[in-house]
Amino acid sequence: MEVPRIAVLALGASNTANICTGLVRAGGAPFAVRTPAELEGADALVIPGVANVAFLIDALDAAALREPVLRAIASGMPALGICAGFQLCFEGSDEAPGARGLGVLEGRVETLRARKLPHVGWNRVEPLAPDFAGGWAYFAHSFAVARGAREAVALTDHGERFVSAGRRENLLGVQFHPERSGAYGAALLEDFVRGAAVRC
Amino acid sequence: MLAKRIVACLDVAGGRVVKGVRFENLRDAGDPVANAQRYCREGADELVVLDVSATRESRGAALDTVARVAEAIDIPLTVGGGVKDRDDVARYLEAGADKVAVNSAALADPGLIERCSERFGAQCVVLSIDAMRVGDGYHIATHGGSVPHARDALDWALEGQARGAGEVLLTSIDRDGTRSGFDLDLIELFAHRLRVPLVASGGARGATCFADALLAGADAALGASVFHDGDCTLGGVKAFCRSAGLEIRT
Repeated sequence: MEVPRIAVLALGASNTANICTGLVRAGGAPFAVRTPAELEGADALVIPGVANVAFLIDALDAAALREPVLRAIASGMPALGICAGFQLCFEGSDEAPGARGLGVLEGRVETLRARKLPHVGWNRVEPLAPDFAGGWAYFAHSFAVARGAREAVALTDHGERFVSAGRRENLLGVQFHPERSGAYGAALLEDFVRGAAVRC
Repeated sequence: MLAKRIVACLDVAGGRVVKGVRFENLRDAGDPVANAQRYCREGADELVVLDVSATRESRGAALDTVARVAEAIDIPLTVGGGVKDRDDVARYLEAGADKVAVNSAALADPGLIERCSERFGAQCVVLSIDAMRVGDGYHIATHGGSVPHARDALDWALEGQARGAGEVLLTSIDRDGTRSGFDLDLIELFAHRLRVPLVASGGARGATCFADALLAGADAALGASVFHDGDCTLGGVKAFCRSAGLEIRT
């Protein structure tokens, strides 16, 4: 089996190095993407995010990557959104009022209703879908999609239950950081890379 | 439910782990990558790397250490020391930090907290405060903990929170490196008033004192020399905290 080429969006305020390290450990060949041309030839797409979503949306549009990313997701290419990258996949966010998300997942990202924010640390991912595994994952965020979202496959409890993973066809999004979530996160990245390998 | 965290801290200078008492008399405590991997294996919930030399010349070495540590672990990494401006934060993030701690630069220019938070998100910005007891309260200590500042420490923490810091790393200078237990009064005071997570540091001695700090309201408790010298293990501390009824990651 060939090593899948995984495009990692590098929008200027993300921990691209860490997610790339995680993808290499999982058996993939990640490369940073800053322009539409660099997206060509990818077998899979990762949208990471240690960033303010407003900044991420601006950076996406400034790099003219919105349409290419939407086309890549529509093509059926395995795609993974992480943290702010997951939030970017929804229609909009309280963190970026007025700005338009990618809109590939239904719903809106809101401020978590919890006494302590941001939600920083390890928490349980509780699966809703039988083919999605649960476990301990590392979170670092203040915003999330409330439970009840149509594409939710896992929930986590912090003040309220929010969507910690969502899936629509080839797109998986996670609110936690698989690259920083020990063995549980490593298994998730391996699954993703395996899915990408089938296509190359 | 969110788990309480046990955090291992590596103070680094010139590419090595160092440890001193109250930031003085630094001595060598090993290779950062080897230490990081060991703590990760033993169940640390997070690593903190602090560049304690923090001079302009040392910045390259610190970035290199951070990159090597980040690559070697699969748990979150917080980095601090010598952060002067937003570009320093960006450089640490690019090197593999998940969160970056700001300390004296934020005190000199509090707007730095907002600028970092707007760009990277509050969850990424840790306000590191060195506190020392002065009279009935706590003041900020500057210059590596040797000089008391006029500013009240809690007041500064609340301002930092309002400006967009997403976590407070609170070090008791009176206890740092002394292994006399965490300052529980200090922890209670801050935990009661803050709405961002609180990481307690300074004075870690054994498993029971970590549980005490967490029960006093800290969201995470940090140890350095107590782990370097093998006084206790991460696994032992976590098992004890779990037996004390705390939610701890397995």
